Formats: sequence, C-alpha cells, structure tokens
Amino acid sequence: MNEIKPTRTIGVPQPLVDGPEKVSGKALYSADFLPNNCLVGRIFRSPVAHAEIIRLDISAAEALPGVRGIITGEDCDEPYGVLPIARFEYPMARDKVRYRGEPLACVAAVDVETAQKALDLIKFEYRELPAYFTSSDAMSEDAIDLHDHRPGNIEREVDYEIGDVDSALKDADMVLEETYNCPEICQVQTEPHAAIAEYDAERDYMTVRASTQVPFYVHIMLAKTLKMDQSQIRVIKPHIGGGFGCRTECLNVELMCALVARKAKGTVRLVVSREETFITHRGRPETDVKMKIGVKKDGTITAVDFQVIQRGGGYSGYGVVTILYAGSLVFGVYNFENARYKGLRVLTNTPPPGAMRGHGTVGVRYAFEALIDEISHRLKMDPIEFRRRNFLSAPTFTANDLMINSYGLPECLDWVEKESDWKTKKGNLGPYRGIGVAASHYLSGASKSVNWTGEPHATIHLKLDWDASITLLTGAPEIGQGSTTVITQCVAEVLGLDMTRIQSVTSDSKVTPKDNGAYSSRITFMVGNAAINAANNLKQVLIEAAARKLDCKPEDVECLGEVYRAASQDEGMTFEEVVLAALEGSGTITVKGNYDTIPESHGTKKYRGGAIGGSMAYAYSAQVVEVTVDPETAQVTVDKVWVAQDVGKALNPLSCEGQIQGSVWMGMGQAISEETVYHKGLGISGSMLDYRVPSFIESPPIEVGIIESIDPHGPFGAKEAGETSLSSFIPALTNAVADAVGVRPIDLPVTPDKLMELIEKRESGQKAAIK
Amino acid sequence: MEFMPNFQLHRPETIEEALEARMDNDEALYVAGGTDMLVNVRRGIEQPKNLVDLSAIHGMKSITLNSEGLHIGAGVTLKELHGHEAVVKNYTAISHSAKAVAGSTHQMYGTVGGNLCLDTRCLFYNQSEWWRQSNDYCLKERGDTCHVAPGGKRCFAAFSGDMAPSMLVYEAEVDIAGEGSIKRVPLKNLYNNDGLDHLTLKPGELVTAVHLPQELAGDQSAYEKARIRGSIDFPLAGVAVRLRKSVDGTIEDLAIALTAVNPYPQIVSGLEGLIGTKLSEESAMQVRDTVRKQAKPMRTTTVAPWYRRRVIGAIAKRLLEELAG
Amino acid sequence: MSKKNHKTLLHCTVNGREHDDVVDDNTLLVDYLRESLGLTGTKIGCDGGECGCCTVLVDGQPRHACLTLAATCTDKDIVTIEALEVQGRLSALQRGFHEKLGAQCGFCTPGMIMAAEGLLRENPDPSEEDIRQGLAANICRCTGYVKIIESVQYAAAELKRTGKEVAA
Ligand SMILES: Cc1cc2nc3c(=O)[nH]c(=O)nc-3n(C[C@H](O)[C@H](O)[C@H](O)COP(=O)(O)OP(=O)(O)OC[C@H]3O[C@@H](n4cnc5c(N)ncnc54)[C@H](O)[C@@H]3O)c2cc1C
Ligand code: SF4
Ligand code: FES
Ligand code: FES
Repeated sequence: MNEIKPTRTIGVPQPLVDGPEKVSGKALYSADFLPNNCLVGRIFRSPVAHAEIIRLDISAAEALPGVRGIITGEDCDEPYGVLPIARFEYPMARDKVRYRGEPLACVAAVDVETAQKALDLIKFEYRELPAYFTSSDAMSEDAIDLHDHRPGNIEREVDYEIGDVDSALKDADMVLEETYNCPEICQVQTEPHAAIAEYDAERDYMTVRASTQVPFYVHIMLAKTLKMDQSQIRVIKPHIGGGFGCRTECLNVELMCALVARKAKGTVRLVVSREETFITHRGRPETDVKMKIGVKKDGTITAVDFQVIQRGGGYSGYGVVTILYAGSLVFGVYNFENARYKGLRVLTNTPPPGAMRGHGTVGVRYAFEALIDEISHRLKMDPIEFRRRNFLSAPTFTANDLMINSYGLPECLDWVEKESDWKTKKGNLGPYRGIGVAASHYLSGASKSVNWTGEPHATIHLKLDWDASITLLTGAPEIGQGSTTVITQCVAEVLGLDMTRIQSVTSDSKVTPKDNGAYSSRITFMVGNAAINAANNLKQVLIEAAARKLDCKPEDVECLGEVYRAASQDEGMTFEEVVLAALEGSGTITVKGNYDTIPESHGTKKYRGGAIGGSMAYAYSAQVVEVTVDPETAQVTVDKVWVAQDVGKALNPLSCEGQIQGSVWMGMGQAISEETVYHKGLGISGSMLDYRVPSFIESPPIEVGIIESIDPHGPFGAKEAGETSLSSFIPALTNAVADAVGVRPIDLPVTPDKLMELIEKRESGQKAAIK
Repeated sequence: MEFMPNFQLHRPETIEEALEARMDNDEALYVAGGTDMLVNVRRGIEQPKNLVDLSAIHGMKSITLNSEGLHIGAGVTLKELHGHEAVVKNYTAISHSAKAVAGSTHQMYGTVGGNLCLDTRCLFYNQSEWWRQSNDYCLKERGDTCHVAPGGKRCFAAFSGDMAPSMLVYEAEVDIAGEGSIKRVPLKNLYNNDGLDHLTLKPGELVTAVHLPQELAGDQSAYEKARIRGSIDFPLAGVAVRLRKSVDGTIEDLAIALTAVNPYPQIVSGLEGLIGTKLSEESAMQVRDTVRKQAKPMRTTTVAPWYRRRVIGAIAKRLLEELAG
Repeated sequence: MSKKNHKTLLHCTVNGREHDDVVDDNTLLVDYLRESLGLTGTKIGCDGGECGCCTVLVDGQPRHACLTLAATCTDKDIVTIEALEVQGRLSALQRGFHEKLGAQCGFCTPGMIMAAEGLLRENPDPSEEDIRQGLAANICRCTGYVKIIESVQYAAAELKRTGKEVAA
C-alpha cells in the first residue's frame, strides 16, 4: 500500500492529448465538415483600393439557377470590430471600399461553378478615390480621409514621456539614433480561413463552426451583425490549423458565411483561398521605428526616445492596442527610468493588419536590440556584458508600472553564452561568418481583456460522474499550441491522477464555459490557474466524501490520486469508490474554477492607454544566432540558433520546446525572407511562392534551453512559452550579420539583394578611402 | 471544393494519338506532370477547352544510352533524371538542375518536357484571375499594357525553367513531333526571345525527347541558381557551365547558359577568347562581366533586377573557377 | 443545375479499396478524395502546389493531390493518411509525429507524413539532409521543422528496430 503515489504530470514531457487525431487524419478542421445539401459560399471582392460605391448590381447573379442567396453591404448595417471603441468595419463594404479585395458581396450556390458564375455576373459601379498605400502618403497634407471620424487618417496617436528624457540624454556619454523599417508580415498559418454556418429557419437558430482563435468574440459579433439574440447562436471551434493572431478577432469570413446561410435558409460552407487569406490579413503592420538611446560609459542606459509609425490598413482592427503595446513594452527587459514615445497608427488603403504573434513588440524590440548592439560595439564592450549592466531586479515595477515578479533573463543569457561558446566565437569566426545575441520578453496574458465585463478572466468546469471519469470543459481554444494538454495536466497534477482519467470537451458555446480566446499568451497562465482552482475544488469534494466514508476529518484524508486514505496503514478507498461516495445524494458533480488578475498588474495610469502592456508575468528570452554570408551572392545562412527562455515553469517541456523553436523560426522568416509586397494596393505576394515562409532547407537547428524562474502567480510557476522568443531572433540575426560582414543591415528582411547593396557600398567606401 | 474551369480531358497512349487529340480539338493544350499547367488553369491564365494529358504515353518515359549519346524521353520525371547514373556522371549539371526544381514532390512527377516548355513568368502574370482582372491584365494575356515596361510593346516575362541552361551547355537537341513527322532540332532553336511567345513550337507540336551528344559526355559541368529559399522557389537567376580542360588546365571547350534573366534560356556568347588559355582571375572577371551584360532581368520578380544581374555574374564566375579547379 | 461537364469513368484503388466512379474531367484528385470519398485527412493549404498539405501517395510516390486530375489516376494505387494506421494503432511515422511533437496544429501533418512515408519507403535510413530534401516541398508554420526531423528519425529507428517496412 505504501508505494502508492499520486501521478505527476507537471514538468514531464507530454505528447498532445489530441495528437492521435492529428497524425491519423481524423482531426476535423472547419473545411472538413461536409453535411448533405451544403451550399458553397464565395466572395465578390473589390477590384479597386479606394472608391465610393455607386451601385452593386446583383440581379443577374440572383437570377442564375442554382444560386440560393446573395448578400451585400445592404444586408448588414451593423459594424463589427474587436475593440468596442473602434468598430467601424462591415462584413461587406457599404458606402466605400477601402482596400483592394475588400468584400462587397457573398454568394451561396449549389456548387462552386455556379457560385463562380454568379460572381462573374455581379456588376460593380464605383467612383474611384485617391488611394494611399504608405503611411506617409496617407498622412500627407492633401490626403482625403478614409473614414470621416479619423481626420488626417490617424487611427491613434500615442504620446508619453516618463521621467526626464532630455536631461537624461544630456547626461549620457553616448547617444545613438537609427530608423528601422520592418515590413508587413503575414501569419500564413497553413489552414486558410474557413467557416460553415447552419441556419435552422424553423427555429431561427444559427450554428457556426469557424477557424477562429476567439469563438467568444465571434459569437458576440455574429449576434451583432445578424441582429440575433446571443442565445440563438451556437459557435463551435473545430480543430484549427494555426493562428498566430490572424484570427484573434472575428473575421468577415464567418460573418458573411452566417449572413448568407440565413439568406439562403440553409447550410453554407465558406472556405477562402490562400490568396484571400492574405487579403483578410490581420498580420503584423509595416512598422517604422526611430530609436534613440543614451548610455553612460559603463553601459548603463540613461534614456530611450523613440517613435513608431504603423501602416494600419483600411480599418481599425486591433490598431489602437498594437500602437500602445509598441510603446509600453519597450519597458520590462532592461532597467531605465526615462523614456519618451510617440506612436502613430495610420489608416491606409491596404488590407488591415491585426495582432500577430509578439503583438506590438517585434519592431521596437528589433530596433532596441540592434541599436544597443551597435552601442556596445562602439563602447568596445561585449554585448552580453552590456545587457548585464542593465538588468532589472525582480520583484519590481518598471517605470511604467509593469509588475515583474520573476526575471530569468540573466540565466537565459548565461545559458546561451555558454552553450554557443560565445566567448570563443565572438570576433573569431573568420570572414563572412558571424555571431549575434539579443534578448526579448512577452506578456503572459493581458491583465485587462478588451471586452471586459466584470467576469473572471478564465473559467473551467470539471464534470465528474458515476463512471469515475472527469470531463474537462473548457472554452479555451486549442489552436495547436497544446493548451488542452496543459490544462489537462494542471487538473491531473492537482488530483494526482493519470491524464487518461480526464477527457476534454473544448470550445462549443453550448457546452463549454465562456473563454476570451487564444491570444496574448493568456491560456496557460489564466486558464491554467482556473484549472488548478477547479481541480482543488473537486479535490475538496472528493476528500469530504472520503472523510464521510472513512469516518475521519477531511484534513486527515490523504489523497494519493487513485487512492484516498485516512492513515498510511489504512487500505483506503479507490478513486471509483470515492467518486460514488461523492455522488451519493448529489448526483453528477460539476465543479468550477476561476481566475482573475490582480489590480497591481493592470499597468500604468501615467498616460492614456497605459493599461495596455500590463500582465501578471513576463517571460524572457535570449538567443545567439550564428550565420554565414555567401560572399558572392550575399545570401545569409543561419547555421545554428541557441535560445533560452524563462518560461517560469515548463509545465510541458515538450511543447515549451516546440513553441520556442516555432517562435524562433517564425522570427527567422521575418528576418530573412518574409514580407508582403503590394502593387498599387494589390498584394503581389499573395501566394506561398512569393511570400516566402522558410522551407526545410534553410531552416537551422535550434537548441533550446529552458529556464525556470517560478513566477509566484503562475500556475505551478509558469509563464508564457509561445511568443517571447520570436522578436529576439531578428536583432540577433542582424547583429550576427554585422559581425560577419562589417555592415549592419537596418531594414528587414535581410534578403540577399539588400545585403549585397550594403556590402558593395561598404566596399566602394573602403576603396575610396584607400585611394 | 476548388473552382476549376470546365474542359475535356484526353488521354492518348501514343504520340500519334496525342497529336491527333491536339489538332482535332479546339483550344487544346498539352499537360504532362501538370505542376505548372494546372496551376495556370486554376488561375484562369490558361482556359483550354481540351487538355491532352501526356502521362499515359509510354513511349516518352525512358532514358536510354546509345552510340549517339543519351536519349531522354520528354515524359521522364525530374527525379528519374537526377538520379540516373549516366546523367550524374556524364552530364552533371543536368542532374544539378533537376534537383534544383521546386521541391522534392514536384520532382516526383514534374517532367523534362514540361520543364523545357514551361511558360514564362512574371509577377503581374502568375496571379489569380481576380488579381489580373483588377490589374487590367497585361500584354501577355488579354490586356494591352505591360506593367513591367509600360511604354513598350514587348513582354519581358522571364523563362524560369531550371533544366534548359544545363541542357543547352551540352548542346542538347530535341525531337519535335508534328504533323506526320518527327524532326530533330537544337534545343536552342526551341526558344524565342519573346516573353509572349517564347516557344517556336507550331500549334500541336510536341517535344518527345531530348538528346545529349556522346562527344560531350563526361565534360565537367555544374548548375547553380540564386533563390531566396533553399527549395520551392523558382530561380531568380540560374547558370550552367560546362568546361573541358586539358591535364595542364588549358581550357579546351567552354559553354555557359543562363535562365530566369531573359524571356528565353540563353547561351552566353563571346567566350571563344578563353579557349586555349588557362583561367586567370582576370579572365574569370571578364566572364563575370560578359554574363552580366547579356543577362537582362526586368522587374518580373519581387527581387530587384539589378541583384539578379549581379548575382548571375558572380555565380557564373564561381562555377567556372570551381570547375577549372 | 444540370452539369454539362465532361466525365470520365475512373477506376482506381484508394487505401486498398477499389473504386469505379464517374468523375468530372476537371475534378482535382484532392476534391475527389475529400468530397466524393469523404477522406478529409488530406488538406488544402494553398492555391496550387506551394504548401504540400495535400500530398498523397500515387503508386507509392508522393504527389500533390491539388495539381493532379482525378481522371488521370485510372489504374493507380492511391494512399492517403487515413490508411497508415496498423490495426487501429498509429504507424511508426504517425507515432513519431505524435510523441516527438512533429505535429502542433496538425494541418500540415497529413501531407508531411505522406511525404515522409514516400521517403522512408525509398530510403529507410535517411540522413538528416535526406529528410530535409525529402520533405522540402512541405511547409509547416508551427514547428520550425526541428521536431519534424526528430519525428522522422524516430520512425526510421523504430522501423529498423522492429524490422518492419513503413507500410504494413
Ligand atoms: C510551387 C512550385 C514551384 C516551382 N518551382 C520551380 C523551379 O524552381 N524551377 C522550375 O524549373 N520549375 C518550377 N516549377 C514548375 C514546374 O514544377 C516544373 O517546371 C516542372 O518540370 C514542369 O513539368 P510538368 O511536367 O509538370 O509540366 P506541365 O505543367 O505539365 O507543363 C508545362 C508546360 O509545358 C507544356 N508541355 C509539357 N510537356 C510537353 C511536351 N512534351 N511537349 C510540348 N509541350 C509540353 C505544357 O503544355 C505546359 O505549357 C514550380 C512549380 C510549382 C507549383
Ligand atoms: S512582362 Fe509585361 S507583358 Fe509580360 S507578363 Fe509581365 S506585365 Fe505582362
Ligand atoms: S494544397 Fe498546397 S500543395 Fe496542394
Ligand atoms: S503543425 Fe501546424 S503547420 Fe505544421
């Protein structure tokens, strides 16, 4: 009896609980639902970037046999949008179109040929307006406004000064400034957007399955745009093929799908193409960062003065939040007191960006880490040493009131320094080879959610029945990040049970508790904590039942997972027996667990919007990147990456590693090959040929070190694992390239044409100097 | 369900049947592996009423060695080609080329014929129907301006097949089946310097095979392409070099051909001066500059033309130096 | 609406079952598999030939089902992800992808596994470079490929250990 032990699952590598479905082809994604009589949806899109709609004639299309319904802007006068303060977008354009590809109509027909024919019959009359494809054009004096309520095409201007920047810069021994351009990036999750809407005309009831990271937000927006009661809608999120932020807000795809299903009085499947997925966009905005940093001779940072301009596309989306994040999260990695920020989010005639992985932080972190690399170079100080001079010491609050209780950055830097053999390699790799380092951080869930209603941040239900299995009910969207596995682990760990006792039901609004969604790395932290709370509540019920049967006080019951006993010599009760005891009188048990953030984590009140950036905990990352540059083609090869991330506690070390590798590699794409390109607002790179997500061949080995700083508020000490390591790759790469070729790439991505230009400029400069 | 325009499929089993199917039907096009043709059909770039599938023709699928040289059926897949012993050993650049096409899966069923007859490419052309329509099409297809060189009346879409330059440096010939006959012509005669109409094939003509001459078998050669990613990407610029040298390093024969920088795969001219000499840093530089001069990349890709021109010279020089040892 | 599309009688084997189906000449193999046969394990991730999500085996070799006309598959043997399990249990490759976390969101996974299946059938003992080359037509946006390589290596080692072929 004595060797009975509770099962441990935390800290043990766990394959994903939904892995077998995925590797066997059984996992169903939105496009895989093929009910009988399903209609095909297709979207009519604007051929022009900016125009007044004069007339959209759908009569010929409607008359086509096989067409069951067509909707246009006329069918929906309710705007939608993720931020309650910025809902100005309609599922289909109404008065004006503001980017090329903006939806104007959606057809439901019996088959794809008919749907396509119908689109060909739609006639669109418009009066073209001047269109602006760059932030500077949109802000020019004579530019007309895209939206009447946004004069000068400024979606949001953010201004703050914390401390006294001017005098701190005056006190500095060295001040450097540089302007960096980071082009627009797209998620290119492998699953194109898809939705299937089933309208029950008899009951006036709508069921929608959609590829989304935020089924709750989709639910609200469906109710709003359909003008239906929320209670008459059900939203289900099937398996989804990645997110990275492209579906962290309700998209027009699911709204049009539902609207046209209601019009057609049936079921419609709307699966958009890869090109349309690029047009739907919601990626990372093009970002120009002007960064100025002052330092003392000893390397301590005295002040940071920076400006950010983001090209925001035709609609608001998350824009206000993105430009605020860019300002607030300059803090939190290093210690400095003085900072001044000016952020401009500009409206342009391009597809609207969104909240991509590393939301808001990536461009600024790149600029910061690249500039301090140059500074340490000029100070003749090792860049790792430079960073050490500027560490924070936790627990602390940053100058803009970010609450930091755990800070594993020193250990991360130690790890990458040692594992990469930094000290031997730095400066000694020979020509055209180089090594670079950088650091970054990211939040573990935004402390204040965008749709804040006073409910807890996260809720978990556990259902226990006579069969002694536990059903975990969670609205937290599993999008491949492994969240269902982690939540299951948390429950299993508290109860000391094997994970196989627990099965989960996820993201079905009819069954699972509301959840805000999969974004800002909130699930492990917030839902994990709610799961621990729920499991403790369940454990209490079980202990009390066992105590009744064992005739002892609850505090004397020892819970060993599969066995509950009163004293160590006792035979005890099996889990099944305890469950039956607990069910006596009460019947099936459902317990609940909640989680809420604490007010101290809600960010600063020093400037308007200062809550954006507040989080319960921040994860840290450092990485070293080693590169070779081809002297003839200027092609950069990433030979190897060493990355260490402070995840607080690695609940599932296997998926922590997977998430960190995925983030690093996604950073690599942005650093060396990815960018969206437009020709007069038409996306030239709207395919996976011209938008270059890295392939197997040039993707490097990525060695991961996991640092555990055990955050006091995290579930078992955990923080985020899936975003932090993206942004530090980019500066680590340009720092490595600078080390290799002696010129520093400034604008991204570092494609061979850009790099060759820089190298040739340097060479001709040198030649000139020698002459 | 993906949208596909309507067409009738024909599956001839012989070359004669293929020619018949092509000539007897309106708006008929050939498809081999389909790795390019079906992309274009899906995008509405090609709108055939009839598609003549060449994959059931048995007579075009083998590689055979005879006294004249190596005979490669047009239906041979790129994978069969790059793994073939005689190709690897005697016509190395051709193996390099086949391995450099797209990704491994494309090589499994993409064919030699399809690669040689590949349509020219341009970022204003290889787009969806909606895209091209929104951009008023272009000279190459349904439109009346070129977005790359708006004033002109020429199309600069770049021929971007990886195979052709390697075959050109080996002085390959192709068999072309047409009405009633099969003729053999130098591969270089298959191409025109015109992005609109880069193949000299007459309507209905079919490439059935490629011949590599025995005389050049065993000459050293190599192919390299500039691309951003290590796979999938079409070449931004591609160079094949064949070099024969004597024991003391004197150049006896040299050929260089380019792809992706002109509307047709191009043999570099003006290299005669190197024959009978040993390669020096200076002559290698001259080759580099000659290549750069003859390459005329235009803004048909997202990567800047000036880079493609710089890099194609640099690669040519590097390959030449490597081969010259 | 009556469809005037040209049709072909397709005789082929899919996952060991013979089929005689009338298909439109313009039907892509991926749509035949997904919509007619309900084999939705094969995914569509791009507009043609760029992502590898639709990779299936045709006569034992990986091929994009999105660039293949169903009607050209007459007398062909087609294998999709659904056929890999061995007596209801994951195959070595599938287990590798599961246990080594070669699948995160799982959307690239069926195509990735089929490409790997093709590779291992031809080369049971691939080097890391062989794996990279063999899967180079497949894009994964989640993993950075590191764990996919480990997954395939796991399967190769497992097959060697048990002396089994990739396909049962
Ligand atoms: C994502 C992607 C990346 C690619 N990357 C590359 C690359 O890097 N390099 C490269 O070279 N190609 C690339 N390709 C194009 C293509 O895969 C290859 O060129 C392939 O070799 C074409 O062969 P196929 O048999 O599939 O041709 P098909 O698509 O069947 O045919 C291509 C053209 O040739 C014609 N044709 C075919 N056979 C004959 C014949 N015997 N006689 C006359 N005409 C014929 C067809 O009518 C058609 O016009 C890529 C394709 C994709 C989808
Ligand atoms: S070069 Fe000009 S005409 Fe030719 S495809 Fe490109 S845009 Fe069209
Ligand atoms: S679906 Fe992308 S290659 Fe077939
Ligand atoms: S696992 Fe998500 S794309 Fe590969």
